Amino acid sequence: MPLISTRALTKRYPGVTALDGLSLELEPGVIGLVGANGAGKSTLIKILLGLLPQTEGEARVLDLDPATQGAAIRELVGYMPEHDCLPPDVSATEFVAHMARVSGLPSGAARERTADVLRHVGLYEERYRPIGGYSTGMKQRVKLAQALVHDPRVLFLDEPTNGLDPAGRDEMLELIERIGNEFGIAVIVASHLLGEIERVATWLVAIDAGRLLRTAPLTSFTERTGQLLIETDEPAEALAARLAARGFSAQADGRTVVADLAADGHPELEIYDAVRDEAISLGLALVRLEQRRHQLEDLFRVGGADERVA
Amino acid sequence: MSALPEPVGTIYDIGYRHYDGPRLGRRGAIAAIVGAGLRASFGLGRSGRSKIIPWGALVLALIPAGVAVAVRVLVGDLIDLYSYSNYLWGIGALFPIFVAAQAPELVVNDMRHRVLPLYFSRPIGRLDYVAAKLAALSLALLALTLLPVLILFAGRVLAAEDFAAGLGDEIGALPGILGSGVLHAVVLAAMGLAICSLAARRAYAAGAVLAVFLIGGVMAGTLQEQGRGLADLAPLFNPLAILDGARQWLFGGVVAESPVAAADLPLATYGLAIVLLFGVSLAILALRYRRVTT
Repeated sequence: MPLISTRALTKRYPGVTALDGLSLELEPGVIGLVGANGAGKSTLIKILLGLLPQTEGEARVLDLDPATQGAAIRELVGYMPEHDCLPPDVSATEFVAHMARVSGLPSGAARERTADVLRHVGLYEERYRPIGGYSTGMKQRVKLAQALVHDPRVLFLDEPTNGLDPAGRDEMLELIERIGNEFGIAVIVASHLLGEIERVATWLVAIDAGRLLRTAPLTSFTERTGQLLIETDEPAEALAARLAARGFSAQADGRTVVADLAADGHPELEIYDAVRDEAISLGLALVRLEQRRHQLEDLFRVGGADERVA
Repeated sequence: MSALPEPVGTIYDIGYRHYDGPRLGRRGAIAAIVGAGLRASFGLGRSGRSKIIPWGALVLALIPAGVAVAVRVLVGDLIDLYSYSNYLWGIGALFPIFVAAQAPELVVNDMRHRVLPLYFSRPIGRLDYVAAKLAALSLALLALTLLPVLILFAGRVLAAEDFAAGLGDEIGALPGILGSGVLHAVVLAAMGLAICSLAARRAYAAGAVLAVFLIGGVMAGTLQEQGRGLADLAPLFNPLAILDGARQWLFGGVVAESPVAAADLPLATYGLAIVLLFGVSLAILALRYRRVTT
């Protein structure tokens, strides 16, 4: 049984299609849901929580149907919305304990877990003060704590690093990684920032304009391309020409050359020797020599969508 | 001198613990919201300032009952300061004040600070939330609409020379006491929450509640000055008069000071009016909360 599956999931608003025939199968782990703002990430999360009915298609979360068993799903999942959602006049302890009880925990367990979870997210003495006086970073921690307090099986985080400074981002991402790996809770983290997702996710779902671009393990997004990237300290046309003359396919672009690793009639990795020899004979200094990888950003390049839809 | 003993307590980071205890689901969630709402209604767990109005109103509501019981015990049943029927009309001014001060505490911040999505992503529905808040405020209002009259009832029974005979005399009034108390509490709570659900801030909500009751009272007063036909309609503009009329229609007992006594309307009209008032309040709540985006 997959953690989450959808089949041809579609959500249409008057004039806008937020989700367009989305089919997914996700296994537990830290799953990054990436897409530009307005790509349909929040809509997908709300449908999976049973807060929004889909127009067409099917969805299942923990083998439950959000459309008819929403309450049962919401007992077992946690949700951290993108926007501010905290009352200013109560303390974090009071608020999180109340939310634990609204999730169905008895009051004793709610208090205990509130203390535990606030400690895990890194709120200490300040947890007894009214939330209104907290920094953005502390508020994000409270938002995460209320989603985690009832020990959910799945955690939906919508843009969890919104509004945080670089240090706050690092801490939030570290927490998300701990929740996924140490706590053993599946995490779906939606973000428009590829760089962040890349750091925590093991699986990636990329959507654009409500359509699935790609769903795959993170490693396959950044796998090697079979090309060598050579950067020199001077314009590199001559180097490219020498390599081409030796039978390698190579193109120069300013001070870099991109060459295919494999070439007919040459043993594997011979290109490294060729680069070394030609660089010496041309008197070029090599700045960088590495196997080129796909960039996550490639996904969202204009025209990239059509090529990569499965 | 011996060395100090080794410290015995050590803090360990025991890591994340999973929860495998009971989950009470929707019922537990509703109970939690009702409980928190009740506490908020009386300012419990809040600053001393937020306790003044609810507890002040409660004390003021109880004083007449206390006095009446004391008089009864000391003087006997020569004078009746308060009857079961006119008690709620007598302390009626306290209801708008209590509702205006406390109903906003229950609903306005959840809406204004967008806490509702956190509720709705838990095992309750939107109507569950509304019902829980309504139950909380109704239960709180029972402290004003039922408790004093029950004290009056208990005082009368206990002050009687023969307890059994006293109980026999008074027990017949009990359904009316309970019914009137619940009727007032539930309708006032629904009206108060409906008005507050439309307000953006607590202060506006409080003002709006007071305005509805004040304007209703003033309009009713003005109409009463007019000629015959219009004066009969006067009580229908005053929510407290509608409540009194409905009480009288259901359980009997004329209140001389109430505009209901002055107006020449069939009592069933008040019954209809109260159903309308309650129904409109619930409809406002249901529509308002259906529109909340998560």
